[in-house]
Amino acid sequence: MTAARATLASWWDGDLLYRFRRSPVAIVSLLVAVLLFAVALGADAIAPYDAFDPAAANVVDARLPPGSAGMYGETYLLGTDPQGRDMLSAMIYGLRTSLMVGLASVVLAALVGVLLGLVAGYFGGVLDAVIMRIADVQLSFPAILIALLIDGVTRTALPREVHDALAVPILVFAIAASFWVQYARTVRGLVLVERNREYVLAARVIGVSTPRILFTHILPNVLGPVLVIATINLALAILTEATLSFLGVGLPSTQPSLGSLVRIGNEFVFSGDWWISAAPGALLVLLSLSVNIFGDFLRDALNPKLAS
Amino acid sequence: MSFLLGRLGQTVLVLLVASFVAFALFRYVGDPVNNMVGQAASMADREAVRRALGLDDPMVVQFARFIGNALRGDFGISYRFGQPVAALIGERFPATLELSLISMVIATGLGVPLGVWTALHRGSVLSQVLLAVSLVGVALPTFLIGIALILIFSVGLGWLPSFGRGEVVALGGWTTGLLTVSGLKALVLPSVTLGVFQLALIMRLARAEMLEVMRTDFIRFAKARGLKPRAIEYRHALRNTLLPVITIVGLQFGNVFAFSIIVETVFQWPGLGLLVIQAIQFADVPLLAGYLVLIALCFAVINLAVDLAYVAIDPRVRGSRAAGRAT
Amino acid sequence: MNALLQVENLRVEIAARKRRLVAIDDVSFEIAAGEVLGVVGESGAGKSVTGTAVLGLLEAPAVQAGGRILFDGRRIDTLSEEGMRALRGKEIAAVFQDPLTSLDPLMTIGDQLTETMLTHLPMTRAEGEARAGELLAEVGIPAPRERLQAYPHELSGGMRQRVVLALAFCCAPRLIIADEPTTALDVSIQAQILDLLRRMCRERGTAVMLVTHDMGVIAEVADRVAVMYAGRVAEIGPTRQLIAHAAHPYTRGLMASIPSMRRREKELTQIPGAMPRPDAPVAGCAFHPRCPQAFARCAAERPPAFPVGAARVACWLADPAFEGVPA
Repeated sequence: MTAARATLASWWDGDLLYRFRRSPVAIVSLLVAVLLFAVALGADAIAPYDAFDPAAANVVDARLPPGSAGMYGETYLLGTDPQGRDMLSAMIYGLRTSLMVGLASVVLAALVGVLLGLVAGYFGGVLDAVIMRIADVQLSFPAILIALLIDGVTRTALPREVHDALAVPILVFAIAASFWVQYARTVRGLVLVERNREYVLAARVIGVSTPRILFTHILPNVLGPVLVIATINLALAILTEATLSFLGVGLPSTQPSLGSLVRIGNEFVFSGDWWISAAPGALLVLLSLSVNIFGDFLRDALNPKLAS
Repeated sequence: MSFLLGRLGQTVLVLLVASFVAFALFRYVGDPVNNMVGQAASMADREAVRRALGLDDPMVVQFARFIGNALRGDFGISYRFGQPVAALIGERFPATLELSLISMVIATGLGVPLGVWTALHRGSVLSQVLLAVSLVGVALPTFLIGIALILIFSVGLGWLPSFGRGEVVALGGWTTGLLTVSGLKALVLPSVTLGVFQLALIMRLARAEMLEVMRTDFIRFAKARGLKPRAIEYRHALRNTLLPVITIVGLQFGNVFAFSIIVETVFQWPGLGLLVIQAIQFADVPLLAGYLVLIALCFAVINLAVDLAYVAIDPRVRGSRAAGRAT
Repeated sequence: MNALLQVENLRVEIAARKRRLVAIDDVSFEIAAGEVLGVVGESGAGKSVTGTAVLGLLEAPAVQAGGRILFDGRRIDTLSEEGMRALRGKEIAAVFQDPLTSLDPLMTIGDQLTETMLTHLPMTRAEGEARAGELLAEVGIPAPRERLQAYPHELSGGMRQRVVLALAFCCAPRLIIADEPTTALDVSIQAQILDLLRRMCRERGTAVMLVTHDMGVIAEVADRVAVMYAGRVAEIGPTRQLIAHAAHPYTRGLMASIPSMRRREKELTQIPGAMPRPDAPVAGCAFHPRCPQAFARCAAERPPAFPVGAARVACWLADPAFEGVPA
């Protein structure tokens, strides 16, 4: 994939880096996002307590406000939840879950979408018509509804234990199922342009195989827009997961994500224990905002039509 | 005309797909017989119910029957509530529709002017600030906005109710919260919550469209004709911007319907969304199927409305009268 | 000097990332009342930018960085936005390349004509509409009164360019900037539109700055020609003189590339190489890397414009002090 590397390299020392260096907002958003990724990766080392260890939860310490000391002298920087779990630890593990689900569904959606888009754009004909029709129909339904429906169906079809055990893959699939369309459409449009370019025609004439043309010649040229969509979709996927978990149809409470933490806290909003929902909510916003802002920057920087 | 026919074909396809998914849910997910007679029934009883339900017929016949029933508004009995699905949906529909409409009015009414204004004043500080705020609006999860608003305006200040619809007035089969003070007050927080994301999105899209139109040749030619800036911006650019914006607003209306599920959960708003969440959690298949078909129908109606708006605004869609049309 | 338009030492720069690129450098020419000046050159030579600068429609990142533009003896490049707007469409009109995109698709042709006239002329709406019908008849549109109600998409490309001409002439301007007015049209229609443009200008005494890359068009229509190369004027003079005795090697190259009935025996030639882009300027004469007659001085020093007969030629070969290439 030297062509892909060359394309990426040319953005890097060209316009992209220049624009990046001159945009403090982009720099800060990327820094925050990278920091959050790092925290999520190092959750086991960073979190003060193990959020999954029932022994670490202490019901006596339930719903303590931020900064409280626990029964055994623990300090709860961000307070505790209704089960006496350390909020900060729960949030760090929740962040990891949220990011994992978000990244996995973006990767899945991108793989499926790019592949279908390449195929539809390059081969055209019936295949193209069928793929794009499916995309059209699916685009008529909001992402969250499709995800809800898939979750509902699997919930009905599978026994509860099985569904809980498979919660993460199901969730990833449910989110990816509604996001692939955008990649497919974008890539198809780009391929339609690229496939008539001279270099592709030349490659075809000298007998380069179709998969090789698709993956080494055309793919690198559509990676930029795919990267932009993927970044913006990562924020969307994280929000979708959080929303589903908040609605109680996402991850089970044994595997908290930021969304399910907010859901737990939501029951205590009226009793004044605001931190149980506000703290994971704030972290979710920070994550979503940083990824979103960086995605927005990427889109502007890589879209020559918008650049003035 | 071909435009309208093509769009109509698309709509029918969407409706059919949705109906088929609903039917497949109904027929193949879980066992309808089990749900009707319970686990304890004898084999003979089951067989009788099977036949009575027509589950032995070919799939096509069953699907046709499902569509026929759906057309009459018959989706069977909800497993969880033990009431006809149509009645349940009919009872909850007004609450969701009012909520969605009001928030869409807020989002469009503010979003389009703000988008146009920020496009025309690209360099100004206020425009940059609005753009940044709109990015936050897109990035905020709806349920958190709802919780934050409740914390501030209900728990903190005690100004507005945090749940329910307030007093409603029945007009025929329709219940409305728009005619009572408590109903209107109850509507404020949920509709704002539901509208924030749409407002930000519509504003950003309207801005992008307006910028796009301002770069077109006919705007450049309008400038070369010496037209006044106001005429160029509002008579020419704005009208051309509105076309795609209408499509977006139509599409977003469907999203608002879906997002009402979240808002109704946060605010315990007695609408369809709350019903659907329960249907999903309790695998209430008939209710899910009915909801799915209703949603598809709503999309069909919205699409039709968008297409009609196009016909009204865009002469190119209306078809040509004069001869010598360019190919 | 009774020139209608005088452009003196015009310089246009484009603000790029770290530096300012020079798009137009030291361009001077004038157009007399009723005269047709053809401006030719390859794409990117600065023809359109010059026209845009005269119209006062340069947009960031392009800015006028030097020189003066005078219309009717009055400086117009320093006019206020509003002052220039009042001039555009009334005194200086424009015709752009693509008739398909020059007209607002959502407004009838009659309304676009009326709107332009009402902006500049003291007349009532009814008078404007009546005049719009007459104008369509003058540009040769059949059934003009009915066509007032037509939308642009209902007309063919040639008809639309006639409408654009009607729009340009509707306020009886004294100068028209025609930027590739026939390039986007079918070959069969190009001649008709060109004829129409020439006839209308002659009847009304309107001067034209005709921007094109097509020497054939120039030969047919223009009184004088300005040949542009890399943002500068290479040669400017009467059309006949340039066609018969071009002094600049670049002009000669251009002439050799026109298919001509009289020079049937000769093959069409092409100038090898490519014009330097603004981001990679060439020292000395911009044409020297491609010039078959270049010598040392060409690469070192930029030639000023030397008078040759009625023409002005920016080439060291035209220097009266030139005594042959040093050995």
